[in-house]
Amino acid sequence: MLASFEIREPDYGVLSPAAWPRLIIIILGVLSVIYLLQSIRMPKEAKDAAPRKSIGEFILYWRNVIAVFSIFALYLIVLPYLGMLIGNILFSFILLTVLGGWRAILMHLLVALGASGGMWLLFTYVLEVFLPRGSLTGL
Amino acid sequence: MDIFLEALLNIIDPVTLIYMVVGVGAGLMAGSIPGFTIAMAIVLTLPFTFSMPPAQGLATMISVLVGGLSGGLMSGILTGIPGTPSSVATTFDGFPMARAGEPGLALGIGVWSSFCGGIISAILLVLFAPQLAMVGLEFQPWDFFMLVMFALTVTASLAGEHLVKGLIAGAAGLLIRTVGEDDAVGVGRFDFGSDYLLTGFDFIAVLIGLFAFSQLLSDLRNPVTARNALSDRKQVKVKIEHRRAIGILLKNWVVVIRSALIGMFTGILPGAGGSIANILSYDQAKKAAKDDSKFGKGDPRGIIAPEASNNAVEGGALTPLMALGIPGDITAAIMLGALLMHDIVPGPTFIKDEPVLAYSIYIAFFLASFIMIGMQSGVLRVFVLVTRIKTYVLATVILTFATIGVFALHNSIEDIWTLFFFGILGFVMRQFGFPLAPMILGVVLGNIAELNLARALAIDADPMLFFVRPWSLFFAIVAVFSMIFPIYQKHRNTGSLLERLFSPLVLFSLSLPLFMMGGLLRTALAVAAIAISSTILWRRFGSQSKA
Repeated sequence: MLASFEIREPDYGVLSPAAWPRLIIIILGVLSVIYLLQSIRMPKEAKDAAPRKSIGEFILYWRNVIAVFSIFALYLIVLPYLGMLIGNILFSFILLTVLGGWRAILMHLLVALGASGGMWLLFTYVLEVFLPRGSLTGL
Repeated sequence: MDIFLEALLNIIDPVTLIYMVVGVGAGLMAGSIPGFTIAMAIVLTLPFTFSMPPAQGLATMISVLVGGLSGGLMSGILTGIPGTPSSVATTFDGFPMARAGEPGLALGIGVWSSFCGGIISAILLVLFAPQLAMVGLEFQPWDFFMLVMFALTVTASLAGEHLVKGLIAGAAGLLIRTVGEDDAVGVGRFDFGSDYLLTGFDFIAVLIGLFAFSQLLSDLRNPVTARNALSDRKQVKVKIEHRRAIGILLKNWVVVIRSALIGMFTGILPGAGGSIANILSYDQAKKAAKDDSKFGKGDPRGIIAPEASNNAVEGGALTPLMALGIPGDITAAIMLGALLMHDIVPGPTFIKDEPVLAYSIYIAFFLASFIMIGMQSGVLRVFVLVTRIKTYVLATVILTFATIGVFALHNSIEDIWTLFFFGILGFVMRQFGFPLAPMILGVVLGNIAELNLARALAIDADPMLFFVRPWSLFFAIVAVFSMIFPIYQKHRNTGSLLERLFSPLVLFSLSLPLFMMGGLLRTALAVAAIAISSTILWRRFGSQSKA
């Protein structure tokens, strides 16, 4: 809401660029209040239905999701250095191994190489899109 | 005629045909895998079509769509798990029939019903879209703005169980679209001094993140099921029995046509898509049947109804898209994204201004249905193989692909960050039960709404015009009633005042703008609406006072 006041007022034009976002934010605010009131009025049994989890249980329950997000964030950070070919192979290989366990590691390597490599070839040579090269690897 | 030929040449082009075959195949696969929705498949096709000419790109996407709608029946019939939400009802009778030793017949009926549904809706699309566009020419900025608002509210009320959550999602979608430079004057909004935010979010990256990324995460959430394959069946020896299936379809042609019409209508309505249509038409088929004792135990009509209707939905969803520029459901919203990507803004003049492209869409729709029939048997074998791939492997490969695809849109790594952020947002929203459909519609239609609002206020600053102009009032009324609809549904069969007043009230209020529009037909419609609602009222209240 506050941010909408930082939108610069132009000297021309009829509808201020801030008007539309502000209108949405007002509607969104009203809706959120309704939602809040509805949640507060919700019967107590319904609230207790979901048992509280400790942090450890929380992490265990969501471990795959957390793993995907952290690996993806890591991948995005190193992408400019490694380039897309190597970055994607590493990304898919690590993700596969984390999600699937160590036992099928050879299969993971093959899938990572085949899928990422194949898509890289397809985009580079068939669709002629230049995928990012790494500043360290040159690939 | 020249236009038709030109469009035909566009599609018959060998490269386009290859893309279409690949597209149908990919759609069939995506549709057949539970947990991978059609919308996800189409949104992931978008980056591929970026470098293609518009007609080719759209033809490819339509192929994925048609394939996806028919793909859901394979896993539904063979494993009992619907491949997509659009084929939930197919499992009711398809699976029992397959278990009773007739999987080939069940598949055949499903495939041919899909085909018929697609063709019927394609014919209706060709007939209706230009008519609707004629009506659309009457629309002024006020009316378009209200139409978008109606599309959002109806999606919000149909998409989830919780109306407020749906509306919040829709408003949030609109807000996301405002980030970056505004279209009219180029002033930065919500950029917080960062260049990344100033350029705005690429909305295709947003769509892929919200829809595909979050879906993959939900599939992976459970570490045990993530390592499982869909089925451990080694082999399925099924031959689709085409001749018998066609015979059954011909005998039940009434069911085919009724279901296709239900699908078509559901598709035209913004927000309602295949997931509603298939259940609705299954229900209708059951109600209309003289002997419904076999439903749920392998009645062929129970396969025909959902499959004919879910393929017909897309013809319906494309109608308002081509005629007005307003998509009828999420998949059509993504198609709108594809058009915008090529700088084509559909509106009432779209069919007149871009006839070749419009005809290419029609032809691609017809052709894709034929390709689907041809490929069905071949894909069946691949389907068995794919169901043996473990979920996490499939998800990882698709996620990796998504990163390349999103990058290819603008050659920018920032878009992959957008994908990442909106993947998190989409996942969190899913977990808290916020429907994603209104949000996606909000993101896609945000610009159109703002543009028309600005135009309307530039012509006349009086905001009352939104409620005085007939069409605008018309959409405002249906928007309000679409928001009341969930409450009405809750009170159904309770005999409350709201339940008895709802439908007559809708008709009464809608007759007002119809009268305002004038003209012979619309006045007649308005009179009819009043007459019908009066009869309903008289029946519900008049007879009661007598008794």
